[in-house]
Amino acid sequence: MGEDIESLKERARRIRVHIVRMAGISDTHAGGSLSLADTAAALYFRVLRYDAERPAWEDRDRVVLSKGHCVPAFYGAFAELGLLGPVEPLRHLATDGRLPGHANLRTPGIDATTGSLGHGLSMGVGMALAGRADRRSFRTFVVLGDGELQEGSCWEGAMSAGHYGLDALAAIVDCNGYQARSDVSTEGTMALEPLSDKWMSFGWAVRRIDGHDMSAVVDTLEAVPLEPGKPSAVIADTVKGRGVSFLERGHDHYSRLTGEQAAAALQELGE
Amino acid sequence: MAMPYPEVLHEIAQGDPAVWGVSIDCWWFISGLASEFPERAIEVGIAEQNGVGIAAGLALCGKVPFVHGMVPFVTMRSFEQVRTDIGYQHLNVKIVGAYSGGLEQGPWGCTHHGVEDVALMRLVPGMTVVLPADAWEAEQAARALAALDGPAYIQLRGGELARAGERSFQLGRASVLRPGGDVTIVACGALVGEALAAADMLVGKGVDARVLNMHTVKPLDRDAVLKAAAETRGLVTLEEHTIVGGLGGAVAEVLAEQPSVPLRRLGLPDTFAKRTAGRAELLETYGMTARHAAEAAIELLEGHNA
Repeated sequence: MGEDIESLKERARRIRVHIVRMAGISDTHAGGSLSLADTAAALYFRVLRYDAERPAWEDRDRVVLSKGHCVPAFYGAFAELGLLGPVEPLRHLATDGRLPGHANLRTPGIDATTGSLGHGLSMGVGMALAGRADRRSFRTFVVLGDGELQEGSCWEGAMSAGHYGLDALAAIVDCNGYQARSDVSTEGTMALEPLSDKWMSFGWAVRRIDGHDMSAVVDTLEAVPLEPGKPSAVIADTVKGRGVSFLERGHDHYSRLTGEQAAAALQELGE
Repeated sequence: MAMPYPEVLHEIAQGDPAVWGVSIDCWWFISGLASEFPERAIEVGIAEQNGVGIAAGLALCGKVPFVHGMVPFVTMRSFEQVRTDIGYQHLNVKIVGAYSGGLEQGPWGCTHHGVEDVALMRLVPGMTVVLPADAWEAEQAARALAALDGPAYIQLRGGELARAGERSFQLGRASVLRPGGDVTIVACGALVGEALAAADMLVGKGVDARVLNMHTVKPLDRDAVLKAAAETRGLVTLEEHTIVGGLGGAVAEVLAEQPSVPLRRLGLPDTFAKRTAGRAELLETYGMTARHAAEAAIELLEGHNA
């Protein structure tokens, strides 16, 4: 695929439009999905070895969306890839089973079922171990939230990836700064900093970037492995709700937009 | 002579290149496999959640991991990974409760008693749950689980059955170790030997007891339970596990939907086995010996309530 930066920005905008439309229809974790839109665009339209015609291709790069509640960002990317068929708008939480509220293997494009936080990194470690033993060249990207890192199991996974020197494994931390509460930041809820140091001390090569700077996102993810013999941690500083001013930062974690709000949000996104 | 489990796993791995061994700080169970296939042997250290999660990732790439941990920890600390990563995705992962099952670690205290594993594993839809009675059966079970496409839990434990005789093993099918028409004793795992001893005691009382080895607690052999209910005058279950949700619970669930069938459940009552004592003493204290099973059978036949 390999789209250029300008088209990737347009992909990210389209992904945000899908997210807002989903949030206009049903409850949606819009904030944490919007913060992830640029990463989702960069992965699926540039970085990943991926063939939308063959979503189960054995040599495809794997993606585990450990923050599974933010799957609307991936649904947006999948819709752009044509994986979801002619659906417009996407119906998140649709009771026809097509787009469940958390990432699920049933959906074409999803590589692991998630939803309970703190599970994805270990599964990614297993995938990377399997790929290495089979001499396959695929990479595994695990997308985590910053609040999710409060789960101790993340650090069990991080410890083992460092121990095994899994350089085909990358963790992308969508560091949007908020979790369930909107009045207190993640750092105020349970401090995670210095986050880069934590990953480094577990044996990872770390790069911290502006997760909304498409060039930085692409350059960094394309550089994985950041160091040979080490897993890569990309800490992407983002803004929860990015792209829709009234959803940014302080808005409720769970969002359902009124018709008026959805229209205003779409206008802001240039639709 | 039965083969030790590590050698069984090694042989299974020789026959199936997809089989991996994952150790949660109990390497000796996968050391045979590891000696020949080091790339398919993973040590995660003392980290149950990670061990089970890694196994899920391996299975998502077509591997068949056998994950080994201590019974209480691999079933409780990582229960959510077992339920969600393995069960929900219906992955081909075998959870092996390698040691510390039941009251084996008696005086080490309740932290190390593995008396909730069957109840927990049975809660996971699609999970096969097996408690072999001895090493011979553990070998058969391990081979059968390797051939089964789906998630499973096996508690590697059990004693040596004094009267093995001609035996067969089929997943999901109870073994009738002793025919009998008066009463049925249903047991699993390490207490199957006690059930046989109870039947011997009952002979002296003129009671002809059937002994069912219910090695597969899930899926439960309903037919064997219903046949016992129809052909004998009641059932006694015996397990080294809390009476909540284990073998006795599973049998009770079947019988509760039938016309009245007398049933007694023997196991650890709904309590922590807090006494600092060895296994044999704890089995005695909490009523899980052959004598208790024989007494329960007599009471049941005489129409006494518990």
